[in-house]
Amino acid sequence: MRALDRKLLRDLWNVRSQVLAIALVVSSGITLLVMSQGVFGSLLTTRDAYYSRYAFADVFAGAKRVPNWVEERIAAIPGVEKVQTRVVVSVSLDVPGVSDPVNGRLVSLPDRGRPALNDVALRRGRFLDPDRAEEALVGERFAEAHGLDLGDRLFAVINGRRQPLLIVGIALSPEFVYGIGPGELFPDPKHFGFLWMSRRHLATAFEMEGGFNDVALALADDSASLERAAIVELDAILDSYGGLGAIPRADQTSNWYLQNELSQLQSMGLLVPLIFLAVATFLLNVVLRRTVAVQREQIAALKALGYSNIRLGVHYVQWAVLVVALGALLGIGAGLLLAEGMLGVYMEYFRFPLLIYKVSASSILIAVGVSLAAATVGALGAVRSVVSLPPAEAMRPAPPEAFRVSLFERLGARRWLSQPARMVLRNLSRRPMRAGLSIVGIAFAGAIMVVGWAMMDSMDELLEVQFNIIQRQDLSVSFFEPVERSAVHELAALPGVLQVEPTGAVAARLRNGHLQEQTAIQALAPGARLRRVVDIDYRAIQLDRPGLVLSTLLADKLQVEPGDMLVVEVMEAARPVRDVVLTDTVDDLLGVTAYMEQQSLQRLVRRDETVNGAMLKIDSLAEEGLYGLLKAMPAVAGVSLRRAALENIQTYMLDNMGMMMSVNLVFAVIIAFGVIYNTARISLSETSRELASLRVIGFTRGEISSILLGELGILTLASIPLGLFLGYGMITGVMSVFESELFRLPVVIEPSTFLVSAAAVLGSMAISAWTVRRKLHDLDLVAVLKTRE
Amino acid sequence: MNVPVTTRPPTVTAHPAPVFSMRGVTKVYVMGEVEVHALRGVDLELQEGEFTVLLGPSGSGKSTLLNILGGLDRPTAGRVTYRDEDLSEARERALTRYRRRHVGFVFQFYNLIPSLTARENVALVTEIAGDPIAPEDALALVGLKYRLDHFPSQMSGGEQQRVAIARAIAKRPDVLLCDEPTGALDISTGMAVLGALERVNSELGTTTAVITHNAAISAMADRVISLADGRITSDVRNATKQPAATIEW
Repeated sequence: MRALDRKLLRDLWNVRSQVLAIALVVSSGITLLVMSQGVFGSLLTTRDAYYSRYAFADVFAGAKRVPNWVEERIAAIPGVEKVQTRVVVSVSLDVPGVSDPVNGRLVSLPDRGRPALNDVALRRGRFLDPDRAEEALVGERFAEAHGLDLGDRLFAVINGRRQPLLIVGIALSPEFVYGIGPGELFPDPKHFGFLWMSRRHLATAFEMEGGFNDVALALADDSASLERAAIVELDAILDSYGGLGAIPRADQTSNWYLQNELSQLQSMGLLVPLIFLAVATFLLNVVLRRTVAVQREQIAALKALGYSNIRLGVHYVQWAVLVVALGALLGIGAGLLLAEGMLGVYMEYFRFPLLIYKVSASSILIAVGVSLAAATVGALGAVRSVVSLPPAEAMRPAPPEAFRVSLFERLGARRWLSQPARMVLRNLSRRPMRAGLSIVGIAFAGAIMVVGWAMMDSMDELLEVQFNIIQRQDLSVSFFEPVERSAVHELAALPGVLQVEPTGAVAARLRNGHLQEQTAIQALAPGARLRRVVDIDYRAIQLDRPGLVLSTLLADKLQVEPGDMLVVEVMEAARPVRDVVLTDTVDDLLGVTAYMEQQSLQRLVRRDETVNGAMLKIDSLAEEGLYGLLKAMPAVAGVSLRRAALENIQTYMLDNMGMMMSVNLVFAVIIAFGVIYNTARISLSETSRELASLRVIGFTRGEISSILLGELGILTLASIPLGLFLGYGMITGVMSVFESELFRLPVVIEPSTFLVSAAAVLGSMAISAWTVRRKLHDLDLVAVLKTRE
Repeated sequence: MNVPVTTRPPTVTAHPAPVFSMRGVTKVYVMGEVEVHALRGVDLELQEGEFTVLLGPSGSGKSTLLNILGGLDRPTAGRVTYRDEDLSEARERALTRYRRRHVGFVFQFYNLIPSLTARENVALVTEIAGDPIAPEDALALVGLKYRLDHFPSQMSGGEQQRVAIARAIAKRPDVLLCDEPTGALDISTGMAVLGALERVNSELGTTTAVITHNAAISAMADRVISLADGRITSDVRNATKQPAATIEW
């Protein structure tokens, strides 16, 4: 090993704790990057392979009932390569030993051969025997949630009749990667499941013989124009069969969630690591500048011995590169491990029959390359000032640094300040850039913590709104067909039912010129108490005028304002098309919805029956008996419990967000400690001579500690408000990423979140201070006085 | 100059009690695997108000002697007392208190705080002292009345050293210890620094010990002690003191 390389290693070893602190900050950034890229790459590759292997469709449409011969017309639509018609129905399920209400969706499989589109992946067991009416495949998560196995039985409640189902296989489908039930926010396999039955038997049970109510298309290519044209044609064909409007793959529920998750991973997986790497580069630059300053005379001596400027430049660049390389190595290892852990969590919620583990090496190489380049630039900047001096000059001590009275003092505070306080202020204002960057660095640590906790706060708030302000029923009932309002009186008469409110919604397409959106118009009954619509201030929305009210998000998409007219195409009953005035918009939190006062909606649809569900408040003692009675009612398609939905979401949050939170917290502490500790060590190194002089004059250890730690304290305290502010900005940004048609998270930050984040930053400072203070105690007073710096 | 320095006139009595007393002081430094004997049994007394020059080549032990007198270091063996206080056994906290109350230091490299002005460097000491001289007066005493608000980077080496002297004497120390105070200075600035020391000694009556390897400086002392190889080799009283302004080297 060359002498200069030995020097490099020993120099690094001498500042090993600082090197480690910087390497950890680098590694945090690389860890997050590798983790999110790993999860992103694996999910994306897995999804694409899954979709293509199991023929995930491009266009989906539902209808009331379409005769089988229409399939030929659909297949003739230009650009359509494959057509798969199906029967799909929602039912109540009876799982032995489960008292909670369970809902399911039954999907038909062709009697012969595999489906042309949306094939199922058999995990265990066998495919259906079309001669056996009761055979079914069940979704894997549903089977796991209920401990169902091959040969087990359950019952579908069809028209009040219990139809036995025998499980012959456990399956997955690209359609239900994210297996979410209607109106839910998260998959709840305990209360909702997918099942597959043979087409013939499913059609018989639901009087769908000779027809279908669901169709999927595969198109010749991915072009948006072809997709649009096919959707228009398909809608035109299905129009006379009660078509509910075709949707592209992008809007298919499971795919939409998956895509959303992937986009989030991609954007979050770049932003946060970049922050870490920027902070690490700054630290590296500061520490290296200091190292070079201390080694000024060594550099001069080396030059006098004949080492070139370039060789010395390379020497210090190697210094930086080794630190970054150490961090990158740690980060890649930790990132790969965490990626596997995170994929495990994802696989719980997104189910795939295969997993292709793929970490994009190029993105990691780019990240490592960028941080190495930044380190190099920082190192060169630090070393340039010294190598440019002639050796003779560099061997003399650096002149005393020029100081000036700080701005704060000039503003009049000077006479109140002790000399040590002035030292602290002037040291800080001597290098305002460095002080500023330290403050920003620590502030990022605080901000990252705020974001972590605030996510929880916002989710809590959303749950509070959803389950205490909007949904106040104990259970909700949905009907197969719209019923008359009087039907709810039957529900009210059931034992244990305390209160009933009808709910209604009508599928419709809203048009403004060439813009159109498919949605459901919710009927709002005056004085509804169990299921309300609230605005962003949590006030219940009351409709007293005829006309349409839209979610602000929906109004924006359609580019309409209150007072504008919209074309409403009702997609049910007689399918009337009407011009309706937009009376108002609401900032609601959940869903993208249109609302109408109930009577106006009835007039619009020109039908008396607009009730397709009901909200019930019940006596908890009568709960179980009531479920049985409800399921036995022929009109009832499903029953769901508010309590179960809430529990499900809470479990999800604990699982998923709990892991993210811990990761966040660890990294935030690393970044806080990295910045504060390095700042402390640098100022100790820069001021140790002064501090030793003060000790000689008679200052106590406590007094000189307070000078050094005072500087740290000011930086940390200044960073806290900035960190909270940055955190607020970041959480608002994160929330707008989350903001989707599904829900808009309110930005809520509890005071405790700010307190906890500030306390964690102060804690990091206390640890750094304690570590450095021990070094202060070991100051060699005599040596310091005998040497010039 | 209106300096309230006459409150404590020089008191030279017939049989003064020594300010410092050293008996059999040795100091051994262990540097890695080597033992360095810096002092090998030194006996010494310093009297109140005396201006002493400690002379010797480098490695003679004079700095070690000064550091022990100043409470920066403890002897390996032997006894050191300052008036009634035993410095050889004192704890860290007691030594800090001793330095804070009684000792003024002046160093070869000034050791000023670069972020503080001349006045503030002096105030650093007056703020923690019991009965200090105002920083402005202390600076006037060393001839820096017009450089009060200059930072170290704006002053010459000689000026910086005089700030260091002002800082050392502003607390009215009982003893002023100077380690090569002119070591980093040229002749003319060095003379100004020596003049300041002379004036402090005569006007405040501060017991002063200066270590140097420059024999010319010994002409201005009451007493000249020479050291070599950790031992005192000679201890001479000057019959007449030469004013600092006339010293040449």
